[in-house]
Amino acid sequence: MKTKWNHLKGYVRVEIIGQDSSSFINTCIQSGISIWDIQPIDNNRALVSISVTDIQKARGILKENKLKIRIKEKKGTPFLLKRMWKRNGFILGMLSFIFLLFLLSNMIWNINVTGANPKTEYELRKAAVELGVTKGKFIFLLPNVREIQRDLTEKMDNVTWIGVTQHGTSYRFEVVEKEIPEAKQVTGPRHLVATKEAVIHSVFVEKGQPIVGVNDYVKKGSLLVSGLIGKEKKPQLVSAKGEIWGEVWYQTEVEVPLNTSFQTYTGKYKNRHYVSLFGLNVPVYGFSEGEFKDKTETLNESPLYLAKWKMPFSYIKKEFRETDGVKRSYSKAEAIEVGKKMAKKELSKKLPEDAKINGEKVWQQNVSNGKVKLTMLYQVIENIASAQPIPIQQGE
Amino acid sequence: MGKLRQQVNKWMMQNLELPADVVMDLPRITMIGQLHIYIENHRGVKAFSNEQLTLKLKQGMLHIKGSEFVIKTILPEEILLEGTIASVDFENE
Repeated sequence: MKTKWNHLKGYVRVEIIGQDSSSFINTCIQSGISIWDIQPIDNNRALVSISVTDIQKARGILKENKLKIRIKEKKGTPFLLKRMWKRNGFILGMLSFIFLLFLLSNMIWNINVTGANPKTEYELRKAAVELGVTKGKFIFLLPNVREIQRDLTEKMDNVTWIGVTQHGTSYRFEVVEKEIPEAKQVTGPRHLVATKEAVIHSVFVEKGQPIVGVNDYVKKGSLLVSGLIGKEKKPQLVSAKGEIWGEVWYQTEVEVPLNTSFQTYTGKYKNRHYVSLFGLNVPVYGFSEGEFKDKTETLNESPLYLAKWKMPFSYIKKEFRETDGVKRSYSKAEAIEVGKKMAKKELSKKLPEDAKINGEKVWQQNVSNGKVKLTMLYQVIENIASAQPIPIQQGE
Repeated sequence: MGKLRQQVNKWMMQNLELPADVVMDLPRITMIGQLHIYIENHRGVKAFSNEQLTLKLKQGMLHIKGSEFVIKTILPEEILLEGTIASVDFENE
């Protein structure tokens, strides 16, 4: 413990030259100077360690005893630091590296703008430059993210909101643009015709002369609402508008196998790692393929690039995952239920959003080859109206 | 007077089971093989060289002979010597 302390304070190893070294030792002890590691060299010389704080006192005693002193070695932290300072290039290099790293990691390296169209993005970037947010600026000299966000939102008048986030050395601007409502489309004179064969369920006409009534049967393309209104002699052309809801029948066919086998992963896996050198795979880590009964193998190759050149070596990871076969079997009734659900799902994918399924019917069902085959009929209520422009006859 | 005191001390040591070095101011010497020797209660260094260390005691001297001697630590009443110790001799005045 004591020697550690001396090491920290620093001590010198001195050579004492003269006959009477033992009396020097005694005087040192009596006057409280700590000396240690006393090593006699020959009759009139000895090596002694003395703490730097005591060296001046020791010199006085040496003079009294008519001894000479020669400093051999300087040891301990203060001298080590002094010696290190001689190589201050190293220290300066290290410090400047840390400083540089600090500066570089506090610079803006990247500005991302998301959610803006090119014009807004350009304006936003310009506004950001005015605030000082540009590549190469120091982050700590900039106002904080919230202030930037507020200032930018104030400056830009064609955006609703700008979210500013800072991820390390990059800034991200998320822009929500103001949506200016589109002008209403002006439509020319037109009729409404049926898109499908249907039975009319209900009729809402905003403009135009309805031709069909509820429960009428219409074919595809037949006129529903006419764009000609007024007296027969003097017809007026309008753009017919309205919703004609019709009952449409859809037929869907589904097949449900009674027995199905699946493959699922059990979660156990083994990885093997390779380094590929000029196309030769050298295994690096993981040598077992896993004692799995059933397994799938996936290969991940990540080539290495130096700047833009692909290097002739790459890292390959092979993954073996254990799989497990699971069998699922349905009874006939279950299969029909599942089939119905599947059919309905499939149908609703095809239908427009506002359509409504009103009723369903199993049309045909048979079991063959371990499969249940279903033919379903669906009664769907949907808008069957579609616009058909009225050609304007010139010269009338 | 001194004689009486010495006798009292000796009596105390023998009958009260007090350690001799405390009661009689004698050196306590601890050796670890030939490698180390640790002496408490000395009265200073008389002579020191590679092969010999002579310590003053309250009564007489202590000669330690050997080779490659280095005084590892030295304090007013303690000393730790390293080296190869060959012999330890007492010299009475």
